[in-house]
Amino acid sequence: MSNRPSFFARQLLPWAVPVLLITIWQLSAQLGWLSSRVLPEPWAILKSGWVLLKSGELHHHVLVSTRRALTGLAIGGGAGLLLGLLTGTFKRAETLLDTTLQMIRNVPPLALIPLVILWFGIDEAAKVFLVSLGVFFPIYLNTYHGIRSVDPALIEMAKSYGVTGWRLYRDVILPGALASILVGLRFSLGLMWVLLIVSETISATEGIGYMTMNAREFLRTDVVLVGILLYALLGKLADVIARALERFWLRWNPNYAAA
Amino acid sequence: MQINPSENAAVAASGRGVALKVSDLVKRYGEREVLKGVSLDIAPGEFVAIVGRSGCGKSTLLRLVAGLESHQAGSIHYDGAQQDSHHDTRIMFQDSRLLPWKRVVDNVALGLTPPEYLNAEYVLGQVGLRDRRHDWPARLSGGQRQRVALARALVHQPRLLLLDEPLGALDALTRIEMHGLIENLWHENGFTALLVTHDVGEAIALADRVVLIDEGRITLDLRIDLPRPRQRGDARFAALEERVLKRVLGQQHDIGDPHDEQLGDQSLRRSVEQVRWAV
Repeated sequence: MSNRPSFFARQLLPWAVPVLLITIWQLSAQLGWLSSRVLPEPWAILKSGWVLLKSGELHHHVLVSTRRALTGLAIGGGAGLLLGLLTGTFKRAETLLDTTLQMIRNVPPLALIPLVILWFGIDEAAKVFLVSLGVFFPIYLNTYHGIRSVDPALIEMAKSYGVTGWRLYRDVILPGALASILVGLRFSLGLMWVLLIVSETISATEGIGYMTMNAREFLRTDVVLVGILLYALLGKLADVIARALERFWLRWNPNYAAA
Repeated sequence: MQINPSENAAVAASGRGVALKVSDLVKRYGEREVLKGVSLDIAPGEFVAIVGRSGCGKSTLLRLVAGLESHQAGSIHYDGAQQDSHHDTRIMFQDSRLLPWKRVVDNVALGLTPPEYLNAEYVLGQVGLRDRRHDWPARLSGGQRQRVALARALVHQPRLLLLDEPLGALDALTRIEMHGLIENLWHENGFTALLVTHDVGEAIALADRVVLIDEGRITLDLRIDLPRPRQRGDARFAALEERVLKRVLGQQHDIGDPHDEQLGDQSLRRSVEQVRWAV
């Protein structure tokens, strides 16, 4: 066997463990070791997923949840990026804002739920606010760190070659910080789903979280599991997109270049 | 390429180069005085090499001329003016300082306006890397990166080119290739060149004048009248090299700080080895 794993090994190997687990699960359900109340067999989950898909219900809930997640990401991530650029670039902005932001950062967003419900009630704004707050900090911190760690030798070179102001920002500082900003984005994408799940299970009339909480009322464990699987799939999808962005934007870096 | 002295004079007279005049320059970092009153006159189009041990202040002098740092006393005049508008001066560093996220041709075009972009390809051709123009810098060898850095400096048609040990990290064979390239481009473009190096052989191969800096002062200013291109095996070349090396060696006893002495020893040993390599 050669040291270099073959194409199939590289593509299929990551899925070996999930497939094995599902097989064991299916077998133990069929052999009657698992009550369908506790954990329905995978086949039953697929069937109820298919039913939900055909009725259009699944489609609707996924769209609503995705819209909330992306709105929160746009608001929180955008603010984090802007403030990170600001405090990373200007010493005065850092002095003014960083202490405040570090204090807020240490408050877990979920601890604010009672306050958020008082402020926004239980409608869309509450959920989007929680997601925004959660995704803000990873992007803010990594943007700030990325700007600060741009090689000063490159900035000195660019300035001595007459590159200043916005062009210095566009050609040297932003690309230099990009790897770090993308790490922040990946952290944020993970947090985005966590916060959305929690805020949707607290109070909602639509969305994946609502779907699972509603199913719990009717003891539909299979539908609850469909919801959980959906979160897993959406989380993985977000990560795949973030990785693709890394491979494209950081393609100059041998560590990220596509194999 | 044969360059005879009369051609050389024609280059100097063409007016492409900056006349550089450094007077009584003093630079301090806190308590430590790095340059203790350095004066240097460089004619337009002249190629001057500054040699000296590590920490002698030679790179500091270059950074002051480049306007990257400010000095405490003395003056620098570019064509008689206090402030070079700095548009005429370009510096090449020891590390190439290419932007890794820009392709080779875009690195060369850094700071150019769109109508000048075509010049970037032309200058890349001059350094022999036109067919690598769409590569990422990470894919180039150390010598190729320095050639791109040279192209990036030359595309601005500088009238004063500052070279801060640009070949220090390269292997001996690549160095000799680069010497030929730099000499040809200097001859074609007629800029004034100021080279900082710890390699005495390199200084003598390239420069019209070799200046030795020790402890923040100029202790030797030697005109090199060898015809170009210079042969390293040549007896006169070897004699000049011997002479400068002896001066560097001779000053070793004056050093009080054992740490400095160690650094000096190392850089000297390196240059002697490089000479042996080249010959």
